[in-house]
Amino acid sequence: MAFIEIQHLFKRFKNVVAVNHIQLEVNKGEMLTLLGPSGCGKTTTLRCIAGLERPEEGDIVIDGKPMLSEGFVHPSKRGIGMVFQNYAVWPHMKVFNNIVYGLKIQKIPRQTIQEKARQVLELTGLNGLEDRYPSQLSGGQQQRVALARALVTNPKVLLLDEPLSNLDAKLREELRFEIKSMVRRMGITSVYVTHDQAEAMVISDRVAVMDSGNVVQIGTAQEIYEKPANRFVADFIGTMNFMSGEVVQVLQDTDAVYVRTEFSEKMLCKTSDTKATTPGKKVYASIRPEDVEIFTEPPQGRENLFKCTITHKAYLGNFLYLFVSVDGTTIRVQVPHHLPQEEGQELYLFLNPEKCMVLF
Amino acid sequence: MSRGNVFLAAILWLVIAFLVLYPLSFLVLESFKIAGTDNWGIKNYLGFFLDTYYLKVFGNTLVLSSLVLLTTTLFGVPLAYILARYRHWGKTVFTALILLPIVLPAYAGVFAFIIFLGKHGTLNLLLMEAGLIKTPINFIYGLHGLVFIQSLHMLPFIVLGLSAGFTTIDPSLEEAAEVEGASGFRRFFTISLPLCSPSYMAGAVIVFLWPFTDWLTPMILGQVDFLPSVAYINIAYHFTDMHRKYMGIVAVIISSIVCIAIFLLVRRWVERKKYTGLSKGTTSEGRVIEPGALVKSGAYVYMIFIAGLVLLIPIVLGLSAFSRRWVFEPFPTYWTLENFRLILLESPILIKNSFLFSGIALLLGITFGLPAAYLIVRTNVPGRNALDFVITLMLAFPGIAVGVSYLLAFWKDIPLATYWIIMPLALFARRLPYFLRMAHSSYLQLDISLEEASEVSGAGKIRTFFNISLPLVIKGVLVGVVMFFIMAFQEISTAIFLYRGGWETLPIGIYLNWHRGMEFGIAAAMAFLMIVITFILLLIISRIGGGILKAAWGPGGT
Repeated sequence: MAFIEIQHLFKRFKNVVAVNHIQLEVNKGEMLTLLGPSGCGKTTTLRCIAGLERPEEGDIVIDGKPMLSEGFVHPSKRGIGMVFQNYAVWPHMKVFNNIVYGLKIQKIPRQTIQEKARQVLELTGLNGLEDRYPSQLSGGQQQRVALARALVTNPKVLLLDEPLSNLDAKLREELRFEIKSMVRRMGITSVYVTHDQAEAMVISDRVAVMDSGNVVQIGTAQEIYEKPANRFVADFIGTMNFMSGEVVQVLQDTDAVYVRTEFSEKMLCKTSDTKATTPGKKVYASIRPEDVEIFTEPPQGRENLFKCTITHKAYLGNFLYLFVSVDGTTIRVQVPHHLPQEEGQELYLFLNPEKCMVLF
Repeated sequence: MSRGNVFLAAILWLVIAFLVLYPLSFLVLESFKIAGTDNWGIKNYLGFFLDTYYLKVFGNTLVLSSLVLLTTTLFGVPLAYILARYRHWGKTVFTALILLPIVLPAYAGVFAFIIFLGKHGTLNLLLMEAGLIKTPINFIYGLHGLVFIQSLHMLPFIVLGLSAGFTTIDPSLEEAAEVEGASGFRRFFTISLPLCSPSYMAGAVIVFLWPFTDWLTPMILGQVDFLPSVAYINIAYHFTDMHRKYMGIVAVIISSIVCIAIFLLVRRWVERKKYTGLSKGTTSEGRVIEPGALVKSGAYVYMIFIAGLVLLIPIVLGLSAFSRRWVFEPFPTYWTLENFRLILLESPILIKNSFLFSGIALLLGITFGLPAAYLIVRTNVPGRNALDFVITLMLAFPGIAVGVSYLLAFWKDIPLATYWIIMPLALFARRLPYFLRMAHSSYLQLDISLEEASEVSGAGKIRTFFNISLPLVIKGVLVGVVMFFIMAFQEISTAIFLYRGGWETLPIGIYLNWHRGMEFGIAAAMAFLMIVITFILLLIISRIGGGILKAAWGPGGT
């Protein structure tokens, strides 16, 4: 059985539905990320788990104990640790007192408190800073204090609300791996909220993508990237070319379909949902920029081969972005090497039917 | 830094030197004079600290200050929390009522409570009629009454600071405590309250210093053994006995030193402890709680109780103003407009003077305050911090000190005190910090890039000021203007030393009517009139921008 179960959770703020009857399970020791754009309900879901928001409907079960259906369990009684987006490090307390606050409340003997604090200071690399006030720390250090404070009580569940969003890019990347390894070493079940897809993919065992209060897809980073459930997920995770069109023919006993797009009568694509893919249905033929192949001379015997013009070339260091136009439709192509062709010149575009998917 | 700014700074400094530093130097010099001789020395100060009477007076004042602070804190903390956090009906009304004493003159409260709570006041008479008590209870004549009246007057300063604090705490700081296992009281005492300590202290210092400033309340209640009252009596009643006069001046100076020292200490402490701005992402509303039914009704009862006490002041004064011979009766029996007829027809000069003096002071305040605020916020003229410092310091300065020093300074060499212009000048000097603070904070909120954009577009400094800066800061300035006017209008501590026949203002009229022949009806009618005028001015403020809360920020009263 899952360690955290979110059942039919529903929460609204006045007339805005923030979380719309979602179902989620987090396994023991797993790190699950709630990923989505701002306003999708990910932070509200997290705050419901913490008990900082009271949902209108549904239940949250942590380690077999319901948090709502058998009477509301106050945040202080849930045995959780939480890292807030703005750190929420208490400015009137020294680092040490910030960290041991929860331990003092649990009435743990002084000796043990000292010992635990020493360990967590070591773990988070805050050694020597325990007598400083938060205002004397950098943003990264404050974030470490917040993390240390959440970890020191050895909570059953760790909740992280965009913990890295206020840090600069370099530090963010560094701390991602640190948090991951710390949490994994301690084996704490954790829920991580972020709007940064790269962060989600690096840090989590599984990712739940949310959109306007609903969980759209749950899976490993790879599953979500390679088999996005719909256009929203494909667009949010990575980059995708969308060509709007209409299904014209479904090939029997395969997952292949023909789609009519603005520049092609019959484009061969794959679908992950053969049942929903019926002729006449409006769909998006989609392909990632790195899956598009280009040729200077047309290769023989290939479907989905189109003539195109380079409209724009962007150099990004480790690769090249080409924006090409096929009969007025712009497609983005990622080319890993230098290309002699210039803007305005013609190329041949191969949209590999194996990589070309139908999304709704 | 431009030449113009330096020139401006020089003018402002001249004004400060003339109206603040010059008179105060006289006060200090006078305190070193030895009565009956031409000698100078510290004999008066030695006398003060060796005389058991003055030491007792000093101790009394400290005790009173501590008691008032304790009372306001005990009542103010829950009140501020309720106002800031609970979602309830009538929030604006309750907030306004509870904060009302800030703008009511302190003496209005004293008169109202004498009528209501005095030995033969309404409450005692009602209780006796009901047969609950045989002899009247002494509600107010004594230390307890003094603590009660001063606490009610100063309560808003605690509530104002704390509720602003409770509203601006980053909610996640409290949430983090809850997640860590702290619930209810523990969270409140370990996180919420300590985080508010800077805003609490900013109000607490004003409360604590009030008994060092307020001479009138103890005197009316017959409790004169407090520093400001002793100073007033020594100077105003015993001007022929030089020794007592000098001792009075010493008392004024010692009060001033205590006020300024504590004020500066707390200011330094608050600045060091400022917690706001450290974390990002606070919501404008702060954290709002929906309390349980029991807590909610308790909160209502509590708020109604405090608001009721405040409301008693205008109600009782109103009853008294429209009646005659209201004695030994719980409620007035003879209704009349006679009091108002006397005030408006027979001595309209008081009202005229009040408006004239406050108006002139206000004009001076604007012409001085706006450039001063500009100079302090927007330029790097040398000495601008010192200018800010001196003007802020005047907040902590007892009104008696200003009054007495003007009397001493503008007598022989510069005989300003023989012309009525001394009255508005003194009001201006005393109330300037109120206006400056408002102008100052609105200036701080004005993004400098808006002005820079205007200058880049080709407008000069003066054009930029009138086209861009002034329209954007006008709201704050207007609130400051009205607040300045209210405070100047009810000023008495300074004016009482400077007025001569024909220069009386309404507050002085109130004092004299009480003092001379117990003309309570007229005094009450005047106080009621002042409350009405203040109320109209407050309505204007709230129309301008709901700025009552911020505008009222500063020590009020006599």
